[in-house]
Amino acid sequence: MKNNIIILGGGQAGIYAAREIRQNDLKSNIKILGEENLLPYERPPLSKDFLLDRKNEENLYFHSGDVLKNENIDFEYVSINKVDFENKKLFTKNDDVYSYNTLLISTGSENKKLSVDNNLTDDIYYLRNLEEAKIIKKKVLNKNKVTIIGGGFIGLEIASSLSQLQKKVTVIEIGNQLMGRIIPKQIADLVQKTHIEHGNEIILNKQIDKIIKKNGIYEILLNDNSLIETDFVIAGIGSTPSVKLFENTNLKLDNGIVTNQYCETSIKDVYAAGDVSNFYHPLYERNIRLESYQHAQNHGICAGKNIAGVKTEYSSIPWMWSDQFNLNLQLTGICDDFDEIVERGNDINNGIIYFFLKNKKIQGACGLGIVGKVGRDIRITSKLSENNTIVDTKILADKTQKLNKLMQK
Amino acid sequence: MSEENWIEVGSTGSIEEEDLIRFDHQDKTFCVYRLTDGFYATDGMCTHEAVHLEDGLVMDDEIECPMHQGIFNIKSGEALSPPACEDLKTYPVKVDNDKIFIKIE
Ligand SMILES: Cc1cc2nc3c(=O)[nH]c(=O)nc-3n(C[C@H](O)[C@H](O)[C@H](O)COP(=O)(O)OP(=O)(O)OC[C@H]3O[C@@H](n4cnc5c(N)ncnc54)[C@H](O)[C@@H]3O)c2cc1C
Ligand code: FES
Repeated sequence: MKNNIIILGGGQAGIYAAREIRQNDLKSNIKILGEENLLPYERPPLSKDFLLDRKNEENLYFHSGDVLKNENIDFEYVSINKVDFENKKLFTKNDDVYSYNTLLISTGSENKKLSVDNNLTDDIYYLRNLEEAKIIKKKVLNKNKVTIIGGGFIGLEIASSLSQLQKKVTVIEIGNQLMGRIIPKQIADLVQKTHIEHGNEIILNKQIDKIIKKNGIYEILLNDNSLIETDFVIAGIGSTPSVKLFENTNLKLDNGIVTNQYCETSIKDVYAAGDVSNFYHPLYERNIRLESYQHAQNHGICAGKNIAGVKTEYSSIPWMWSDQFNLNLQLTGICDDFDEIVERGNDINNGIIYFFLKNKKIQGACGLGIVGKVGRDIRITSKLSENNTIVDTKILADKTQKLNKLMQK
Repeated sequence: MSEENWIEVGSTGSIEEEDLIRFDHQDKTFCVYRLTDGFYATDGMCTHEAVHLEDGLVMDDEIECPMHQGIFNIKSGEALSPPACEDLKTYPVKVDNDKIFIKIE
């Protein structure tokens, strides 16, 4: 009998894994099961160029159907709602059964839902997939005032796009800065300033008490008794790994599916990759979970290699970006474990970077600049971090000196 | 090949090894690279979004876009890593008396 490899979740990690398996294994059946009736596509443009009409649906797909056909990778539009790890079977709602020898779980993550009165659940919009992006794009067309609940990356990117579509945007954030504490306050403040300069209203330190709908208009009551009137409400209040399916199984879960550096889970022949996995990172010697484009791709590839029998450790340095207005923010490594902070640059036109160091080695960095101005330095930073290089902080702090000087040849 | 097609970019000393300079001509922008085995030229903007590759990182034969880390082979223009998927246009380069020329048309 042929070896059956099933990939549960047809997103970025899933497609990269499938193609990597095929590169190393020409014989096995490879089947991707996806609950979106779409070939795997890129999500980053959904909150940016897709809303802005600079990219359409056709530009989002990673690969055409022909590529999958040529590589003999099946894609089936189906939602799995039960798993039997013991007998290696997946079930749909209608009890259709899929048997596997090896399973990769790449179910991604899902948006946290705002708690509102039952009659308003359909009035709050979220953005995770193409379907939702299309709905927002269409519905927002004839609206003027839009309120975004949550000042994280996705909320702010939507705020930037809708502002560019001439909407009057308000962002309400519960914390005392945008984008969470992982981002240096100075950078969060610069992003906030840019939003305000473009006419967006940013409200920090406020919670929603209640939302009331009156004649098609929403009244958002905040905990300081202030009231915001708005025509449209979008919530971007964070996400959780998509693991509901596995909650009553013996698969080890802890902020996602726990995996080792080879993408292996606690169950034999079951792997996990992408947003859904809380993986062991050998460099940081602890588990981390990431929601990023580069990670989904590289982790998928690594899982594919391991599934195909090419034992490969995952030690990729985390990296992600966010584009808002003409700003590009980049984050690399981990920024929550340091004994020293070094600042490079003082002007977003040329880029500003904060480095987080421990024992003179870079653990992580966060940079902000107008488009293109921090990428090179951030990339070099990732390499320095990967190589565990002891760095001269004077060079790091001196914008006139090139960072490649710090690289050991 | 007529002489007029070759446009002077600058002197060979103006580019460090494993580095690039931006060169604007009429309304177009180009990148000219110095690799270990010579000089090369490509379009100056990333094919993914409108970003100047002059701010990117040159590594061996590759240029990495500063915005989303799309990677291109400098010699062939081939897009090697997503989100860049469309190849970059490349241009012939010659060096004459320590001056670099690129052939745009
Ligand atoms: C709007 C938006 C903007 C983003 N912007 C950026 C950015 O600018 N930069 C950056 O670095 N990252 C960005 N990201 C993050 C990045 O897109 C994700 O980290 C990446 O898509 C994760 O890939 P994945 O394969 O793990 O999950 P996904 O791509 O989410 O794929 C998971 C798939 O599994 C399917 N699935 C789940 N459960 C089941 C089931 N039971 N049965 C069948 N199928 C199932 C889901 O429907 C989905 O299609 C953004 C994400 C979003 C949503
Ligand atoms: S703009 Fe170059 S990779 Fe996106």
